[in-house]
Amino acid sequence: MKPYDNRAWFLVLPALVIVTFVGILPLVAVTNYSFQDLFSLNNPYWVGVDWYRNIVTSERFYASLGRSFLFSAIVLSIQLPLGIWIALLLQGSHRFVVSTVLVLITVPLVVPWNMIPVIWLNFINPNIGLAGRTLAWLGVAFDYKFDALHTWIVLVVMDTWHWLGLVVVLAYAGISSIPPAYYQAAAIDAASPWQVFRFVQLPKMKTVLSMAVLLRFMDSFMIYIEAFRINAGGPDGATAFLSLDLGEEIQSFNYGPSAARSIVYFLIVLTVAWIFKAATSTRAPVAMEPAKELTT
Amino acid sequence: MKSLSSVGRIALFALVGAFVLVPLAQTIITSFVSTLPRAGITEGHFSLVNYLNILYSPVLKEAILNSIIYVVLNVALCLGVGLPAAYAFARYSFVGDRQLFFLLLVFRITPTVVLSLPIFVLFAQVGLENTPVGIALVHCVFNIPISIWILEGFIASVPREFDETAFLDGHSLPSFFFRHLIPAIAPGIGVTAFFCFIFSWVEVVLARILTTTGGKPITMAINALFGFRTDFGLVMAMTVLALVPGVAMIYFVRNHLAKGFVIRT
Repeated sequence: MKPYDNRAWFLVLPALVIVTFVGILPLVAVTNYSFQDLFSLNNPYWVGVDWYRNIVTSERFYASLGRSFLFSAIVLSIQLPLGIWIALLLQGSHRFVVSTVLVLITVPLVVPWNMIPVIWLNFINPNIGLAGRTLAWLGVAFDYKFDALHTWIVLVVMDTWHWLGLVVVLAYAGISSIPPAYYQAAAIDAASPWQVFRFVQLPKMKTVLSMAVLLRFMDSFMIYIEAFRINAGGPDGATAFLSLDLGEEIQSFNYGPSAARSIVYFLIVLTVAWIFKAATSTRAPVAMEPAKELTT
Repeated sequence: MKSLSSVGRIALFALVGAFVLVPLAQTIITSFVSTLPRAGITEGHFSLVNYLNILYSPVLKEAILNSIIYVVLNVALCLGVGLPAAYAFARYSFVGDRQLFFLLLVFRITPTVVLSLPIFVLFAQVGLENTPVGIALVHCVFNIPISIWILEGFIASVPREFDETAFLDGHSLPSFFFRHLIPAIAPGIGVTAFFCFIFSWVEVVLARILTTTGGKPITMAINALFGFRTDFGLVMAMTVLALVPGVAMIYFVRNHLAKGFVIRT
């Protein structure tokens, strides 16, 4: 057990000071704004919960919420299995292959977020884009501007391109932390590859994978710049996600309503973080099961 | 999983590589092409004109410098405050440690757009807008949690006796940090710096709202290039340049990424 010593607070204090300044203080300020009508910042007028009432009673809010959930669900159900699969295949590969694949797959992670839609719009452009021209040549009537399904496909493929590397890196980190003795034990028990995955690898990867799920969920749920640049929420609002409404209000400097919306979204984040915490803190028994199950 | 032959495996990796590289390839090709009519250059033919234009543009060169300043500051700051905090979490339990860890988790996943309005107001009041220092500070909100998580995993894998021996030898805490702990977890510091770098380098929402009139990083300088007649070749050349430091970072930490690291939640 770790020794109990409150002097450790001195070590975390510098980090806490900065986080307070750039995280907690802004949150306090935004809470304050959210109850006021601020024509300008020097001219506050108390409006109580009006802004909140406007948000939670608007159909637009629930429609955006639904679209954001759907987008996150699609993105997670593609990227997570795909990332784990690639990481599993990497595990038995030559060291050179591993580092080459990891280098390649993490390249999109270092592309500035405002350039990702530019790269993709260029790529799918029907006149000059490689993908756009190929699709036209194949006779596919691809129209990401006016066909909602096509806009969704572009967003999902683009997001997968952008973030698959993170899932692979995390999953691979989880797999490579498993000691060889686990595999030897599984081999003695004549476990099938599926059983090895289900009862040895998956439990050991649980921590990093839950991390991957959390990061991927939150980033896709609040996707902003990338989605906005592709089709500005269109066609006809079909890709209007949660962040787009907030972004628009901030752009037009509607302090009160955008503050209230920020708080509502922050409460969603808080709920997700809490669920994540609750789900990952009850994990001890799972890892010990395999010994019994593998022999069957 | 072992059933898949090595040929099939390589084929799949090649497919993944193509998926990553083909969209980028078009960007790289466009960056070497003159996309606007210019005297002496055929439009659509190979040319270095875009890269030369960056070299001749004080605005774009300043943007590159601004980006480097803020990202270096941010990584230094996150490592500087993250290392002692990670050590505290790895070695001691204290009042409120789990609550603090949860708070860090929350701030890591809070979308930047949620914090952007109050940060804009707050930073304008204390004079931190339109400067790389402001961006470096504000990116700490998601990078300090990352640095603490990753470093904590690396420190926790060093046996406690390592610390105790050093302290018995008469090392103070700072001297132990610099002489023993940092060399022992050097790969961890590399991996941490890598993740702090990428998340700070690519962030645009806060960077945009904090640099409306000056101190623009590369990302915002690229935004400013879009207009009535956009020089796409120049945009793509700036994008390619923006990728270079990131790709270099990936290359340096590739073996550490391949060895894996542990993250505690």
